[in-house]
Amino acid sequence: MFTLITGGSASGKSEYAESHVLRLPGRRIYLATMRPWDQECRGRIARHRLLRRGKGFETVERYTDLAGLELPAGANVLLECLGNLTANELYDPEGGGGEAVLRGIAALAARSLHLTVVTNDVFSGGASYDADTLRYLRVLAEINRALAAQADAVAEIVCGLPNYLKGGPVP
Amino acid sequence: MIFITGPLLAGKQSYICGALGLSLDEFARRAVWDVQDLAAREPDLPALADALSRREIVIATEVGGGVVPTDPEERAAREAAGRLSCLLAERADTVVRVCCGLPQVLKGRLPC
Repeated sequence: MFTLITGGSASGKSEYAESHVLRLPGRRIYLATMRPWDQECRGRIARHRLLRRGKGFETVERYTDLAGLELPAGANVLLECLGNLTANELYDPEGGGGEAVLRGIAALAARSLHLTVVTNDVFSGGASYDADTLRYLRVLAEINRALAAQADAVAEIVCGLPNYLKGGPVP
Repeated sequence: MIFITGPLLAGKQSYICGALGLSLDEFARRAVWDVQDLAAREPDLPALADALSRREIVIATEVGGGVVPTDPEERAAREAAGRLSCLLAERADTVVRVCCGLPQVLKGRLPC
């Protein structure tokens, strides 16, 4: 099973994604893609770690090449987030571009019992960006659409509440 | 009139072409898109909405989700784009929002 979760910044999508994974029985792995560049990133990571405390997630950090990651098979994997992962694959010297993101997600989906991917809605604030930012947006939008087409369920989170665009919540 | 809205690069055109079985040529003939850009130069938004609503398919990209722009011109353009979308939704028989390529009907139903 594969669930895609989207939403604007601070829409409550992480909390929703976690509660969604908590309803699934079995091992839970949190796959973190944000590189701890600076103090702000580290603060954000600390906030998310606190949110997950006591929820039984094992945290794995990986910034690029998810296809090459050897995760235990049959776990419930929560990947957060696609916006970071896409930026890493586009801008890191070892990154493999948008293709590497899709390859990585396909490998994860094949290996997981239930894969939940959190992505980022950064597409509702106009189009006045420089060429490089527009390129990033195009790649991320393509990935979002490809994954939404493959997913069993897609939820857009608004004020912490899910609006299912496809499928529905796990029972 | 079918009004399609949704974030930038969300697959609005692909969606409506797929749903109605339109070729790109047919799409270009029957639809008008990026109408949010028309709003900025239009002093009479209801008149623009009336004119657009005589078309079969009207597509606008949501642009109001970011921080309010500090530049007065950009701010007015964004405001006009949002107002135009509301006016179009009022006039439309069907309103569909497309997000990540997935449609959600907000008003009416799709003729197919």
